[in-house]
Formats: sequence, C-alpha cells, structure tokens
Amino acid sequence: MKNFLPIALAITTIAFTSCEDDDSPVIEQEIEVVAPATYSFERNGESTVSFSGQTTRIAMAQEIVSEMSDFDNASIASLTDMFANENNPFEDADLNASDKSVKSKVAASTDYFSTNAAASAEIKAYIESHFTTQINEVFPAQNTQASIGVAGQIADGESTRYVAANGLEYNQIVAKSLIGALMVDQMLNNYLGTNVLDAGTNIADNDADVLVEGKVYTDMEHKWDEAFGYLFGNSADPANANATIGSDDFFLNRYLGRVEGDEDFAGIAQDVFDAFKLGRAAIVAKDYELRDEQAEILRTKISEVVGIRAVYYLQQGKNAIEAGNFGTAFHDLSEGFGFVYSLQFTRNPDTDAPYLSREEVQGIVSQLTAGNGLWEVTPATLDLISTTITDRFDFTLEQAGS
Amino acid sequence: MKKIFGIIAIALFFYACGSDDTTITTDDSGTGNTGNFDRSAMLTNWADNIIVPGYVDFNAKVNTLESATAAFTADASDLTAVRAAWLDAYTTWQRVSIFEIGPAETVNLRLNVNIYPANVTTIESNIDNGSYDFGLSSNRSAKGFPAIDYLLYGLGADETAILAVYNGAEGAAYKQYLNDVVADMKQLTVSVLSEWQGSYRAAFIENDGASATASTDRFVNDYIFYYEKFLRAGKMGIPGGVFSGNVEVGNLEALYAGNLSKELFLVGLDATQDFFNGKAYNTNAQGESLSSYLDELNAIKDGVDLNEIINSQFDVARASVSALGSFESELSQNPPSTFLESYNEVQRLVPLLKVDMVSAMSISIDFADADGD
Repeated sequence: MKNFLPIALAITTIAFTSCEDDDSPVIEQEIEVVAPATYSFERNGESTVSFSGQTTRIAMAQEIVSEMSDFDNASIASLTDMFANENNPFEDADLNASDKSVKSKVAASTDYFSTNAAASAEIKAYIESHFTTQINEVFPAQNTQASIGVAGQIADGESTRYVAANGLEYNQIVAKSLIGALMVDQMLNNYLGTNVLDAGTNIADNDADVLVEGKVYTDMEHKWDEAFGYLFGNSADPANANATIGSDDFFLNRYLGRVEGDEDFAGIAQDVFDAFKLGRAAIVAKDYELRDEQAEILRTKISEVVGIRAVYYLQQGKNAIEAGNFGTAFHDLSEGFGFVYSLQFTRNPDTDAPYLSREEVQGIVSQLTAGNGLWEVTPATLDLISTTITDRFDFTLEQAGS
Repeated sequence: MKKIFGIIAIALFFYACGSDDTTITTDDSGTGNTGNFDRSAMLTNWADNIIVPGYVDFNAKVNTLESATAAFTADASDLTAVRAAWLDAYTTWQRVSIFEIGPAETVNLRLNVNIYPANVTTIESNIDNGSYDFGLSSNRSAKGFPAIDYLLYGLGADETAILAVYNGAEGAAYKQYLNDVVADMKQLTVSVLSEWQGSYRAAFIENDGASATASTDRFVNDYIFYYEKFLRAGKMGIPGGVFSGNVEVGNLEALYAGNLSKELFLVGLDATQDFFNGKAYNTNAQGESLSSYLDELNAIKDGVDLNEIINSQFDVARASVSALGSFESELSQNPPSTFLESYNEVQRLVPLLKVDMVSAMSISIDFADADGD
C-alpha cells in the first residue's frame, strides 16, 4: 500500500502557489524538518528518548500469556494478579517492583475511553473472564481429546492446542486482544492524540524547551516516545528498531513484522518507523502540523496491521476447515478472533473512529461463539466477516488472505 | 486507489515477463506439460516397486522389534538384541518416512513415530502415572523411535545402570511403557500397510492427471517437503544451528544412543535419490520416475540435463556428508564449519527440486513455511 498523501499535498501546494498573486514579494523562509537517520534525539549530549513504562508492560503481557499455558502452576488468582500487578505475581522481580500494570492501561485511552468508563470496565472484565475459562474449563481437560462441545487438546500439525468447549484457544485470544486493547489503543488514541500531546501547558513548554521536573525531555517529547514504546519497547536496538522487526515481542512488533513479510505490504515497517521518527523530529522543531500528519499516517498503518492480520487468520482458518484440519483451523481462528476484537481500538484518521465499531465487533464475536462456536462456523461466515473488514480498508481479501 | 493497483499489477506482470528463467523446457504439447510421459506408469512403479515393498519391510522390522521387546521385558538381562532390533527398524523407517501421503497422512505416521528429541518429562510422568492415551497429540513426543532411544539408552549412565531400572522397584512400569510404545507403532504401521494393500493403491494410481489434487502433484509436494523439512532441516539444519544461530546438539536424531544420526541421515538421502530415479525398493531395477519424467520433458538447465544436475548434486551432498565425522563430533567444533559446508551441499538440492524440477513439470508447490505461533 503506497501512501499517496505526499502527492496529494504536492498537487495542493502547486494549486495554491499558482493562485497567489506575486505583487508583494514577501519571501517566507520555509524550514524543512529533517528526521535523523535513527530514532535518536539528544539534548546537551543526553538522550531524551524514554519509554521504560511501555517496555515494562510488554514484559508483563508476555508473562501473562505464558502463564495461561502453564498447566502446573497457573490459577485464576495468579493470572488476575499478573493482570493487575498485585501480590508480586511475576517471575521477574523488576516487574513486581513496578507501579505499573497491564490492566490499568487496557481500554484506557483518553480519546476513546475517558468518557466511556462502562465500556472500559467491560473490556477489562472480558479479558479477565478468559482467565477463568482457561483455568476452569481448559486446564482440567488437558488430557482429553477435544470434540464438538467438549474442551480438551487437539492436534495442529506438530503442535498440540488446548481449546475450550467452543473450540476457542483462550491464550491466543488474550494475546491478540491485548494488541488492540493495550498497544494500539494507547498508541493511537492516547499518546498520538492532541488531547495528550498538547495537554496542559505542553505546547508552551515544548516551544520554550521547558523540561519535565528532573528529566531531560519535554512532556510532549515523552508522550510521543511512549507511543513509540508500545511498538518498539522491547526492541534490541530501538534507535534502529526495524533491524529486528517481528522478533522483539509477541504483540504488535511481531505482527508488523509479519505484515512486512507479505510482499503485498512490504515497506509498511519503514513507513511506520519513518513516521515515528519524523513526528518526533517535528516536535523538536516545534512543527505541530507536521507532527499531526505523522500521527495520521501511524493511525492508518497500525490500524491496517490489525485489519490485515484479522483477515489473514480468518482466511487461513477457513482453508483449514475446508481441508478438515480442525486443530489448525481453531488455532488460526482464535488468533483471528483476537485481531477482530482488536479492531474496535483502531483509528481511522478520516473519521476519528475505529474501522469497526465496538458493536460490530461484538456482533462478530457472537457469530463466532454461537452454538458450538468454531466447531460449527462455516466458510461462508468467515468470508462474510473477512469482506466486512476489507470493505473498510484499502487492502483486498486477496492481499491480506495469504 | 484500486485503479492504481491495476496499473502496478500490469507493470509487474510485464516486468515478470522479462525475468531470465534458466530452465528451458522444449515441449510441443502446449499446456499440461506432461509431454508424452505416462504419469500412470510412474505412479504404478512408485506404488508397486517402492512404497508398498518399503512398508512391507518396515512392518517386518517393527514385528521383529516387537518380539525383541517382548523377550527383553520378560528377562531384562541384556539390551543387545532389543537395541539391534530398534536400530534396524529405525534405519528402515528412514526409507519410508518420505511416503506421508494417503494412509500415512491420515494417521500422521511420521509425527507419531519420529518426533525428536523425545520429551523425557512427559515419558517419565506417563510411566509414573501408569496411564496414558497415545491417541493424544501431546503424547506424540513421548513415544515412537525417540522414546525407545531414551528407554534403551538414556535411563542410566551405562548398560548396568539401565538394566537396574528395569529390574528395580519401578521396573514393571518401564517394561509396560516400552511394550506400549512398540504396540502403538505396530498398530499404526499395520493400518498404513493394509490400506495400501487394500483400496488405496488403485485410488493412488487412478488419480494420474495433472492438477493440484492429482497423485503426482501431491506426492511431489510431499517428497520435496520431506527433503526440505525432515531430512535437510530436521537432521542437519536445526542441530547445526542454521536457523537459530546456536548449535543444538540436543536436537540430533538418536540422541541417547549417539553417533547414529549421520548414518540415519545418509539412509534418508539414499532413499530420496533412489525415489527420484525410480529404483525399486532394495534392488537395482529402475522404472518410470521423476528422473525419466524430466528426461521426457527434455528439461535442461544451463545446457545440461536437469536430471543429471540433480543426480550429481545428490552425489556431491552424499560424498560431503559421508566425509564428516559423527554429527556429534562435528557439532563440538565451534563454529561447526565443515558440518555447515556439507549442509550447504544438501541445501543446494532444494531449489533444484523445488524450483527447476517442479516448473518443468508444471507442478505448483502448495506448502510454505507455516506462520506458526
């Protein structure tokens, strides 16, 4: 997917220039903001880039997802404690010592949820309900062969998957739902939004280089970095984050890497990284219009990643159902389910609303869980859901489906 | 937006026409690209002279292993005979592992008899519990040849220590498990062989067209998949750290017996080349094959017959691997450069089979690296 915005802008510029009358030749000096080669920004020789809170939450999310497959040790209490970071639940002592948690940032963005507390609470509760299903329904059936309406294990090629009675693999659903509810929501609807970037005296402070108490960065710089951190917070070398794109976490980073690996979308990782870099450089240069243009690019591209992977897994699952490989199908459809759930957190810059509304997502969830759930889902239903999604985006079923 | 995609697509289409394909096939028959070649004769040769005799032999070796296991568990005083029977069956398995189509695919034979390394934790907990369901996929890594490898070689530091386990307080549970693992293999093998000797042979040969679901197309996919994933990657690439960057000695085949993985690899390589040339099982008779098919199609690459190029690369790979020490000793080098050079020779066959051969035959590859996560 190429971005035609620059062309459009160029044409507009030409149009405007040709309409200007040149009686009074006042020459305004246009300073062009140039992004650095890497995501590195300094003030007085010190790096101003900081996103440790995001790195922490990504690590917490990884432990939560691993815990969901730990038949010998996990409990509802251990999972809910990890989710809320209570009672020192983590293996990593640094995480226990942290005052942060995943739960506090799930469905918690300023733009989408500050006046939508009910939905926020429902979403948190929904994710927690998966912990209960996993412990009460899936774990006791560890050594049962799954069958229609019966929880248990099912073969997926060389792997064994553990599914609930409706065929859903809840560790996958939690992992993929967090991509939307935590990473995408915080990035697109909180830190990249003007409500957060320009909060309080942020513009005046950034204009005058007024730093946060005891820090080397302005508040606006830091907010932008926090958005960056939800994608690259666990990167081996965040300054050159794309060198290891796809292998730095199990969440958004991994799936941006996967989409990048599809030749239909090659280049998207560079587009995303460049937009983060240029937006951050724009903040340093006090060019907020340019900053917001980059935020729009990020909203488009990151939302696309979620949409593309949702369709990809629904189509892979459909193919597996047609081939009679239920284990493979359930694994793919559970991932797809999580990505569909994540669509309610995406952000279309043209409408400032998600590409699929919460109600539409809940409608799809009902379709996939009706009756005996995935055991009875038809290829026609999966195609219908897939085209519902592709109709909202600029990519096609063929591009995303394989 | 959509229109622009169309233009790009057309541009790419034209660009693709300009690529310089080095495999030239002279073929007057136009589409289909089977030339005058009789696919049905090739399928018949595969079934009657290679696949079924292979399964018959493998089944016999499993039966011998069953008797040897029964004898050992009746009197656990000597491991020699049961170990020999295990190695014989394991070696023969390398010749039939390729045939994961039809009955073997239905029961997932390969995944049920040879996932290595064995999961020792699962094996021990199964033995401890005294009850286990070998139909569950989570037990696949706790049975088959790799589990027997552990049970005959890995229970103690030496023979005396291993025999002490079988004659100790838990001995009965270990004996039971060993017998159950062999019984599971036997049941799977018998089911696959009887299907081939029953209705499947005819169905396989009758499906002699040229389409994605035809026997030739499907089996060629299975054959290349075996070569790439189970022979090249499983036996050499993964232990050699080709994909992870770290040598993984613990992922060698026949880990507990030790110093067998190279020989097992070479048997698999021979089986793969013999199949390519349509050589009858354990004899030198040759019938219609992938090699004669390429001949019929007159497939040439860089001025040389493609089947000659493929055969000589098989020979180069074999010579290169044969010249190595045991895989264990090679992988103790850091980095294991000699081992990796041999791996490269094994790898060189992949594009010859997966690109040149299949494009000459107009067969499309239907597998890709799974998006596994």
